[in-house]
Order: sequence, then C-alpha cells, then structure tokens
Amino acid sequence: MRRVPAVMAGAVGFAGIVAMHAGSAPSILGANTPPVNSTPTTTVPAGSGPTTTTTPPPTGAARSATGTGENYGYGVLSVKVTVQGTRITDVSVASLQTAEQYSQSLAQQVIPTLKGEVLSAQSAHINGISGATYTSEAYAYSVQSALDKLGVK
Amino acid sequence: MASLTFDPVETSHRGKARKRTVTSRPGPVPRPVIAEIATTLAGLGLGVCLALAVTAESWKQLGATGGVLMFLGNLTGLAGTYLALIMVLLVSRVSVVERVLGQDKLLAFHRKLAPWPISLIVAHAILLTLAYAEVARAGVLHQIWAFIKSYPNMLTATIALVVMVAIAVTSIYSVRRRMRRERWWAIHLFMYLALALAFAHEIALGPSFVGHPLTRLVWSVVWASTAGVVLFYRFGQPLYRTLRHRLEVAEIHQEGPDTVSIICRGRNLDRLAVAGGQFFEWRFLTRGMWWQAHPFSLSARPRPPFLRLTVKGIGDYSSAVARLKPGTRVAIEGPYGSFTTHARRRPKVALIAGGVGVTAVRSLLEDLPRDCDPVVVLRASTAEELVLGPEVAELVRHRKGRVHELVGSRAEVRMDRLVELVPDLQERDVYVSGPESFVNRVVATLARLGVPEDSVHFEVYSL
Repeated sequence: MRRVPAVMAGAVGFAGIVAMHAGSAPSILGANTPPVNSTPTTTVPAGSGPTTTTTPPPTGAARSATGTGENYGYGVLSVKVTVQGTRITDVSVASLQTAEQYSQSLAQQVIPTLKGEVLSAQSAHINGISGATYTSEAYAYSVQSALDKLGVK
Repeated sequence: MASLTFDPVETSHRGKARKRTVTSRPGPVPRPVIAEIATTLAGLGLGVCLALAVTAESWKQLGATGGVLMFLGNLTGLAGTYLALIMVLLVSRVSVVERVLGQDKLLAFHRKLAPWPISLIVAHAILLTLAYAEVARAGVLHQIWAFIKSYPNMLTATIALVVMVAIAVTSIYSVRRRMRRERWWAIHLFMYLALALAFAHEIALGPSFVGHPLTRLVWSVVWASTAGVVLFYRFGQPLYRTLRHRLEVAEIHQEGPDTVSIICRGRNLDRLAVAGGQFFEWRFLTRGMWWQAHPFSLSARPRPPFLRLTVKGIGDYSSAVARLKPGTRVAIEGPYGSFTTHARRRPKVALIAGGVGVTAVRSLLEDLPRDCDPVVVLRASTAEELVLGPEVAELVRHRKGRVHELVGSRAEVRMDRLVELVPDLQERDVYVSGPESFVNRVVATLARLGVPEDSVHFEVYSL
C-alpha cells in the first residue's frame, strides 16, 4: 500500500482540527487572555474552609446574575455573582455537573478558596489554584460573564 | 452416479476442440481507487485523533501537576484506540477492498501493525494512572483502585485492558506456536468484546469528549460504523451466501497421495460471481469440523450446479476432509483473493505454482484469454504431488502456451532456472502461488531477475 497519500491526509486532518479549534474555544490554544494569572501561588489545602473578608458596608441595591456555564473538560460550572453597586458581595455556585467523582470532590475543595479570591480581588482576575487549573479557569470565566451581564467592571 | 469431471475443454463430435460454455458469472472487477480512498481516510483519521488530543490541552494544563503525563495519557489512548479500530477493519474482509489488496496482504499488515495499538493502550493506562496519582497525591495501587471504584465505566475498561493484553501475549509468535490454532483463535475473537467494553469510558472521561457533543457524536458514529462493517462483512454477507447457495458435498476424488478434490453441489451457482484464482473459507458442517473454517481455492471455475475445491492433506483436518460424506452441508465465506486475471497489466503471463498452489493457477487459467501465451511452471517434490497436471496442460495447450514440470527436492531444483525456462520473464505478468517459503523464494528470485514489482502477483497458502 502506498503510504504517501495516507501521511498527507493525516497532516491535513491534524491541521484541520487545530484550525477549527483555534477559531472557537478561547481558553485553550486561543489568543484571548484568560482572566486567570499564569503564576499559580496557592496549592490545594487539605479541607479548606470558607474564607471571610471584611468589607465596607455596601451601597446601592443588591443585584445578581448567573454567569454562563463554563465547560472545563471535566464538568460544567456556572456561578452566581451578587453585587451591591459596584462591589461584589457574594459568589455562589449556580450549577456544577462533573464527569466523575474526582472532579466533584476537587471542585468542592477549591471553590471556597476561589470565592475568597474573587471577593478580595473584587474582579474575575484571580490566581489559579495549582492542581485545579481547569476548575479555576472555569470559575473565573463564569464570574467574568456574570459581571458582564451586570454591567460591572 | 457417473463421476463428475471438470474437464476444461470439451471436444465436439467432429474432433475440433471447443471451449465449454461457462455459465458462471465472472468475478467483479476490482477498483484500486477504493483501496486508495480507504488508506487515505485511515491516515486522515489518525491525524484527526492526534489533533483532538493536542487541542484538548492548554499550556496551563501542561504546567499543572501531572499535566504532561495526563496529556501523554490522553494522546496514547486516542491514538491506540483508533489504531485498534483500524486493526479490526483490516481483517473484516470488506470485499471491495479485499478484492484489490488481497486477504493475505491485509492479514500481513494487520500482524505488522499489531504492536502499535497494544503498546499505546498499555502506555495510556500506565501514564494516566501515574498522572492521577500525582494530582491526588496517592500511591499507584491506591489510584488504580480509585479508578475502578469511583470513576464511571472504569471497571469495564480495566477488564477490556486485561483481555487485550492476554490477546497480545497469546499472539506473540513463540506463544502462539505452542497453542492449538482453535484455542488461539477463540481467545483472539474476544478482541471484539474488549473494544465494546472500552467504548463507554472513552466517551465518559476523555477530555476531547466530555462537554463536546459533536466530537462525541462523531466518535460514536465511527464506532458504530466499524461494528456495522464487521457485522455485515464477517457475518451478514457470508450467511447470505451460504443460505442462498446451499452447498453440500457431492463427491470426493483422490488426485494424489494426500490430495483430494471435493465437488460440491449448490443452488444459484450461476449467480455466484467469482474470478478464477479466488478462494473461499470453507466450513464443513459435520461433527469435529463445523467450528473451523479453512481457506481453499476453487480449483476450477464453477460448473453450475457444481463447484470444485482441491485440498492437500496436512494434519487431522485435511484427513477428515478426505473422509467427508456426500450430503454434508457446507458454509462458505467469500470469494476472496486478488490473485485473478484482473491484476494483469500486460498481455503475456507466467504462472509459477508450488505444490498445492496449482489449484489457484488451474482456475485462473480458465479466465485468461487465448492470446496470453501462458508459460506455466509447476513445482513439486515428487511426481505424485503434481496434481491436476493434465487439466493444466489442456488449458495451456488451448492457449498456445507451455508447461514446465520441475520435480525434485529443493536441493535438486533451483528456482534460478526460471530465466532459462522463461527467457522473456521481465515482459510478463508473473503469478506465484504456493506455500509461504516457496512464494518468498520465488518472489525474491523474480526481484533479482529484474521483474518489476507491479507485475508480480502472489498468493501465499498459510494458516
């Protein structure tokens, strides 16, 4: 069997899929810069609890919006962001569907820390959590899309 | 009952040789472009699989704990499974492809490709176990247990892996040699089950598939199509042909000391399209033989309602064949083989047959036109092993060709003499059939003598 046409077809197929992908999904191979910083500093702490932050009293009416469900490969995550004025007061998980148990427990472990990061950074530009890169990115994107819907930042 | 003969030429009462009108259908013309399209698609698919693995990654993921191992694990899984599907398709006997490439060559490629999918799939399991163990900071054994316990479809995937490794181990030549063919074959068939068991975990866990419904759909369609091809060509078509033609053994003729011809009677044989030189897989439905199928060439074009195959005795199966009772039903698969007149590119031919290889040559001769000036070389160790000699001689005489009989042991007869027997060998299409060692030696000799590769057509008789 002559091999050259098969090898060429393989190269064409490879290039085709890469081209299709680069045009669509922003976070993977794409040119859009994700809100998550590239230097993760926190590692997954064992059994971390929710963090609290002290904030000045919020002004204005409380509004909230749910960000789009972000598909991060091992699940789909969407968060609900509550703001008062321009201040983010709360972030909660609107929906989380994971492919398997490991992703579920990982998400449950890191989401409190991610919430704390959003509240202290008061934006979607947070540090990722090492060991939960996919989850962190999805969280950040969903927060950003909720903020966009609210017209904040 | 008068003995049935498959005389190639019948003489009219005036003594002039008149070719018998053959009312059987000629074999369908092979279309090489189909085989080229198939190999191109196979290459395209592999490129797509590799790209799916790469595009599911990002630099960030690669930099995370266990990231590189996970990427390599996904890549090897995708590539290994794709190649496993190709392996299945190679031996699914798709007639339009098989007719062009020949089952013996497809099988040889299947064997040659085999180490790749199994190594990639084993690597996939090892790499992902290490990757997940690193992320979860668990030991390897603990991680294996975690996989099986808490991940969907991982239990069946693990069973599939074990089955695949078992099949791979039994297929290593030194192991296979020690096994009975039937047992090895039964184990090998479990590959279908292993692939079916592994499918679910691919869709549920693969990063290219989770959350990507279109990719999932395409992969499912590819899988379903492969299953469909196997069901149609390995089971459906043979069953249809068997039921349509209802072959049964009519007579057994002794052709030589350990060679018999079996004449089968069947229905609708005028509708069976087969080319001279092709073979079927034969399954004689009687005790002790019904669970084995063996390939034998037709040793003449069908004479509706009769067919003939000629079998050389090697081992208990072939001796059982000689003792078949008339009326025994026969199940067939086929016709297969690219050893036909359609493979010819030039007007003149040379046909070189070793031992039982003469059967394919004998039926092929019937399809060759009158002006092909055939030179036939029949090679056998002893004179009694030169079966079907008179029939071959008659067919060749009718086409104004020559027959050379080379009898003797390997030490006595050198195949280098071919160039003396056939001086214009380089200008002919050469057909070679016989046992594997014979065919290999002759093909090597032909290459040395400068016969272009395109003009050499061979069929190997092996299990």
